[in-house]
Amino acid sequence: MNDSVLVLSIASALVAGTPILLAALGEIITERAGVMNLGVEGMMLIGAVVGFWCGVSTGSLTLSLVVGGLAGAALSLVHAVLAITLRVNQTVSGLSLVILGSGLSAFLGAAGETSLLERANGVDVDPLLPAALRDLPVVGPILFGHDVVVYVTVLLVAVAGRVLYRSAPGLSLRAVGEDPAAADAAGLHVVRMRYLATAIGGFGAGVGGAYLVIAVLGTWQTGMTAGAGWIAVALVILAGWRPWLALVGAYAFGALRGLGFTLQIAQVSIPSDFLTMIPFIAAYIVVVAVSASPTRARKVAAPAALGVPYHREER
Amino acid sequence: MTSRLVVTPRAKPSMTVRAGVPFVALLVALGLGAVILGLTGAAPLTVYRTMFDASLNGARAIERTLTYATPLILTGLAAAVAFRMKAYNIGAEGQLFLGAIAASGLALQLPAGTPAVLMVGAMLLGGALAGALWAGFAAVPRAFLGTDEIITTLMLNFVALALMNYLIFGSFSFWRDPTRPVPQGNTIPDSAAMPVISGRLHVGFAIAVALAVLLWWVLRNTTFGFRVRTIGDSPRAARYAGIGVPFATLAVLAISGALAGVAGAIEVSGVTNRLDPKSLAIELGYTGIVIAAVARLNPLGVVPVAIFLAAIATAGGSMQSIGVRVEVVVMMQGLIFLSVTAGEFFVTNRIGLRPAGPPEPAVTAAAADALEGAS
Repeated sequence: MNDSVLVLSIASALVAGTPILLAALGEIITERAGVMNLGVEGMMLIGAVVGFWCGVSTGSLTLSLVVGGLAGAALSLVHAVLAITLRVNQTVSGLSLVILGSGLSAFLGAAGETSLLERANGVDVDPLLPAALRDLPVVGPILFGHDVVVYVTVLLVAVAGRVLYRSAPGLSLRAVGEDPAAADAAGLHVVRMRYLATAIGGFGAGVGGAYLVIAVLGTWQTGMTAGAGWIAVALVILAGWRPWLALVGAYAFGALRGLGFTLQIAQVSIPSDFLTMIPFIAAYIVVVAVSASPTRARKVAAPAALGVPYHREER
Repeated sequence: MTSRLVVTPRAKPSMTVRAGVPFVALLVALGLGAVILGLTGAAPLTVYRTMFDASLNGARAIERTLTYATPLILTGLAAAVAFRMKAYNIGAEGQLFLGAIAASGLALQLPAGTPAVLMVGAMLLGGALAGALWAGFAAVPRAFLGTDEIITTLMLNFVALALMNYLIFGSFSFWRDPTRPVPQGNTIPDSAAMPVISGRLHVGFAIAVALAVLLWWVLRNTTFGFRVRTIGDSPRAARYAGIGVPFATLAVLAISGALAGVAGAIEVSGVTNRLDPKSLAIELGYTGIVIAAVARLNPLGVVPVAIFLAAIATAGGSMQSIGVRVEVVVMMQGLIFLSVTAGEFFVTNRIGLRPAGPPEPAVTAAAADALEGAS
């Protein structure tokens, strides 16, 4: 029963959704503070290439993910300087970040005598829980068969949800994103919080990219995120900037991405290019549908100061 | 005694500042690039020298650069006109693919004996229409439901890319050459090839420049242009003034999509001569957005910026000969974009040093100017 198509595809949806979820979770923090960073795709790529390199060199999953996350955070600081300190157009800065990230990652990934393109994955990703649990019918593979990152990510969603809505730092963060002038007047460090939130977002994207290359794909390829970062950006909006909804959405996207595999086993032949389209068409339909429903639109409002640079003198 | 940085807004940046800052930003980007190149063991000066030779040194090199700049000018214009109205069309990438699909389809469908003028004209029109329609998928929800167009246009890019890949790699479609085992687009007839100006440079470049001038004129001198600019500056004011915002949104996004579609048609007609996903999916659309931003959304500014970017991109092929990866050019583009974008701050603000002493009386630069004016 545990080899049935449905069980396997639900299980793989969780794994495929995790990198998107990590990136989206980071971006939620960033955007909640009022900074829109469209550079997720670029930060994921940098996180992936650096994380993969670290995996090849050390074989440690934790170290690879952390180093990948730090690389993503480093790149996000470029956006932070431009968007927060220099107050430039955040859309443009974010897009430039994607171009820089994809160029730099492709360059680094292909550099050297034996480039990362020719390297095998150096990290073993093992299931976390004992075989007794994993072998349970149905729930075994779906709930208990995953590696540690899947579970930690769910934990992070819970923490992020809790912190954002039920703690003083979370309230401050949201205040900075809703009304930076009032937050500033109340004694919060708007600039400092926005830098921190941007770096957290970059870290999330970097970890997501590193996990994607190490655990989901297994090899480094130029531009291997193939739009995952953009899906994460869309997901943040779809989820209304709320962590738990992002989790649901990310797993749904994971399921859609894995659909090809499922259908292949079920012997339904759909050209792979159409399967590639499905998550993007789904995102398109959901975005349009959400905007068409007036009640939801009112409840799910973007942070009021999203994408607006804060300038004290214009208060 | 320590000093601290003081930032004051410039009232009206002088020409020197407006031209000088991007130039300095460019040097900064080249410097950063040199550091990265150096760290990875390449000789920065050799790299830059090779880049210059490959794209600007000599007639052949310049032809190649201008040819490469052609689609970038058009996607830059596509972004500039939409962004001017604060309609963030990130979808030039996909609209370009649709334009290429339509243009190559038309070229293969029409009788090969059709006169070149009609043939190329039909391809350009078909490309424009296809691009505009593809943009419509984002424009209609935005105009009538207020749907965020950044996300919809982006998602549509990936759909368009998969569609184009399907036509060549995923099926034996009308677009694919049936005689070859390796997937490849069907070659369009000679009459569908864009006439040549000199060497590789084709008439498409002239078309792109003409469209830039036209767009500049329309935005500046027509009622439509005035409406677009008004909506861009203040949608609310535009509504009070009785400007139909939904209609203007549809029109601007259609124009934007059409420009990107023309870019696709010109690439097929002038460069690839077939529907070739590998040479079309090189992020021309995304690059156009940043080009438009660097050109401050001015259609005339788009042309030189696109040519400059093309000069860097065309150098990619020559990197191989000195043992440096092609990808270095994308990295350089990213650095330049970020650096020039950052430079914008220094155009609009003046940075000065002030010794940190006892708090000075609160006289701002503006107030000081006013005092001077009064005396």
